[in-house]
Amino acid sequence: MSLGTLPAPANSQLASAPAPGRAVTWLAIRQIRRGGLLVAGLSAGMTALVAATYAQVMADPAAAGSLQALAGNPAIRTLFGAPVGLDTAGGFTVWRVGTVIAILLGVWSILATTRITRGEEDAGRWDLLLSGRLRAPAVLLRHLAPVMAVAAATATAVTAVLLLSGTAPTGAVLHGAGIGLLGMFSVAVAALTAQVFPARSPATGTAVAVLCLGLLARMIGDGVTALGWLHWLSPFGLLSLSGPYVHNRVLPLLLLAAATALITVLTLTAARRRDVHDGLIPAAAGRRPRTRLLASVETFAVRRVTRPLTGWMIGIGAYYLLIGLTAVSVTDFLRDNPALAGDASQAGFEGLGSIAGFTATLFAILAMPVGGFVTARMTAFLADETDRRLTQLTSQPITRIRLIGAEIAVTAVAAAVLVTGAGLATWLGITAIGGELAVDAALSGTWNVLPIVLLSLGTAVFAIGWTPRWTGLLGGLPTTGGFLLLVIADSVAAPDWVRDISPFAHLAPVPLTEASMTASSVMLAVATVLTIVGVAGYRRRDLRS
Amino acid sequence: MTVPALRAVDLTKRYGHLTALDTLNLDVPAGEVFGFLGPNGAGKSTTIRLLLGLARPTAGRAEVFGVDAADVASAHQRLAYVPADVALWPQLTGAEILHLQARTGPGTDLAYREELVDRFALDPSKPARTYSTGNRQKVALIAAFATRAPLLVLDEPTSGLDPLMEREFRTAVRQARDRGQTVFLSSHQLAEVEAVCDRVAILRAGRLVDVSTIEDLRGLHRSDVTITYAGMAPDLSGIPGVEAIESAGERRLRFTLTGEPAPALRALAAVEVTALTMREPSLEEIFLDYYGTEATR
Repeated sequence: MSLGTLPAPANSQLASAPAPGRAVTWLAIRQIRRGGLLVAGLSAGMTALVAATYAQVMADPAAAGSLQALAGNPAIRTLFGAPVGLDTAGGFTVWRVGTVIAILLGVWSILATTRITRGEEDAGRWDLLLSGRLRAPAVLLRHLAPVMAVAAATATAVTAVLLLSGTAPTGAVLHGAGIGLLGMFSVAVAALTAQVFPARSPATGTAVAVLCLGLLARMIGDGVTALGWLHWLSPFGLLSLSGPYVHNRVLPLLLLAAATALITVLTLTAARRRDVHDGLIPAAAGRRPRTRLLASVETFAVRRVTRPLTGWMIGIGAYYLLIGLTAVSVTDFLRDNPALAGDASQAGFEGLGSIAGFTATLFAILAMPVGGFVTARMTAFLADETDRRLTQLTSQPITRIRLIGAEIAVTAVAAAVLVTGAGLATWLGITAIGGELAVDAALSGTWNVLPIVLLSLGTAVFAIGWTPRWTGLLGGLPTTGGFLLLVIADSVAAPDWVRDISPFAHLAPVPLTEASMTASSVMLAVATVLTIVGVAGYRRRDLRS
Repeated sequence: MTVPALRAVDLTKRYGHLTALDTLNLDVPAGEVFGFLGPNGAGKSTTIRLLLGLARPTAGRAEVFGVDAADVASAHQRLAYVPADVALWPQLTGAEILHLQARTGPGTDLAYREELVDRFALDPSKPARTYSTGNRQKVALIAAFATRAPLLVLDEPTSGLDPLMEREFRTAVRQARDRGQTVFLSSHQLAEVEAVCDRVAILRAGRLVDVSTIEDLRGLHRSDVTITYAGMAPDLSGIPGVEAIESAGERRLRFTLTGEPAPALRALAAVEVTALTMREPSLEEIFLDYYGTEATR
């Protein structure tokens, strides 16, 4: 897409300052540059790390062959994508982190797009922009271009890293291009949902749902041979059809590019047709008051968490149900191929030979989405303060401790609901296909990650009290940061004390073993201290409104 | 002596090197409608944030009916607040927001609230996201006026209201005073303050310049007059109320007029005036004119 084709306002060259469009583009860039750099950097970093460890993992020549045999197992294909081309550093990297990076970039692209388009429009700031010389479609395009540019930059960075690692140029370019296109596709979808819905949260939710459905379609297509055609309907499926380093097909990527262009054109057409602040689906004109849960600060916190909690629960529940449904197949396969179990552990999946071990490994990962949830909730609480909605409550006879206390308590309970739901979904999946995992074992496995999640909550509360600007980043530090640290430390054989900083280094593999009371208690104690110090800071600082 | 509704003692707020509010000493007696005037950036909103305990003073203290402003659980039992820029939860309807405010607030007269919803012509069934600035302000005003809190703190509450609604607002303020409620009205609209306030405080660049009754403030009220004439220039020297006479170009004269215009009009009738414009100066201009630059830091 080219910015040069924008229709310039007829008399823009007259008396006013030149290039109003450039100013709008800069505005959009300023809103996403920090996150964009982080995403591109993380993607390049993860790719570099895995490409560099390839030699180490594949030191044993026999290992490469037996790992490739994993390709035959439907469950492995379902969970991690088709493991093809594992005999090259490039193919191995694509399999190990390709999907993760694609999801990371896709989700960030959606969040960034709806935030700077529908979110800004919701807040009324676009009224000012659109009173300028640019028309709505031009302003929209100039907001989409920078987010798409981040996808392009990520693609370039990943390709460059793969080329520098000495992998085949065709595969490197195809893989990079695929990831970049998936990012751009996500931007286009989010931009379209932002035109359809008159508010930010349904726009974001629908776009994320489209991405999740795409991932699910690819998983099913990978797992069930007869449904392989589903790949053609999913952006993730098209990425795996392109088969970097193996098939090197261009057609699927061209298809993805065409879909992206088509959705972008649809979006711009929709933007031309609708009124500012409205969507294609009109906002509800009015309704009878629903006053349930509006009686106090505490119940209002419950009311605000219900909808996001439902969304996160559906996503996390679906993933762990799938884990449950495939657990028996994966573990049977690995038990029958003991050489593979060893390889899998070298590749970062330990103890996969038994259902308990398999689920324990995947339960540890649960800390990341649930940690993301609590961080998102506390960031939303801060946004209520910054956007002055909270003033309605802070000017009431309600202490700040009660205000943030209600939010912390409700968020912690919601996190408990999420981990319980994940445990039940796993148990349900395993039981449905005749596997053996007691419900209390599943629950103790998911509850085992709760201390790490509460650590995330504590860090976010600390940030709200003392460095509100960093709430999002600090909140994600114990979970996502801790997990990345562990992976990196393991990969580069870092000294033990570096590894031990990560809370995941102390997480017992429940239900394979008993939970570590010491580790859990220490984490809970640290979380409590962080929360208390954070609340104290929040109590005495000026509100940001 | 009774406890003042609001009291500021050496109240100071600094943001880094910027002094937003400089040793403010102010008492607002209970039962008064008190105007708080000042140009943009004078520190009005900062003062209100300190009085509400939303921000912490760098020095000094603020009290609401003798209770430290930081003790919000107790102080806010006695007040209701309308912010300058009302932000509402977009997914809640007007009625739901009023319900939440009533249930978490210091006590609400529900019958009076219904009456206010009618008078302000608010459709409470709509989600807040669809409300205009004026409608958001109405929600906050209705919620505040419907409380029986003895003190109402209103921060530029009418900037988004149309003239009809502005009239309803003034009526509501008078009714609040008749019930014995104290009203602290921050504004930079002189006409509004003149219409409803008993006394006013004038803030400029973070400092209290004056506290006076509304009658004294009227003395500040002067209009800018510009005339164009044919033939002889009018002789305005010595005419009561006319000051600062200056030429505004060829056959044009500019002067300021305070008080009754009759003597000046008689003097102008003596010559052939071809055009006459009168402009009420902005509050800022009055400040600059009246106080000069002495109040600037």
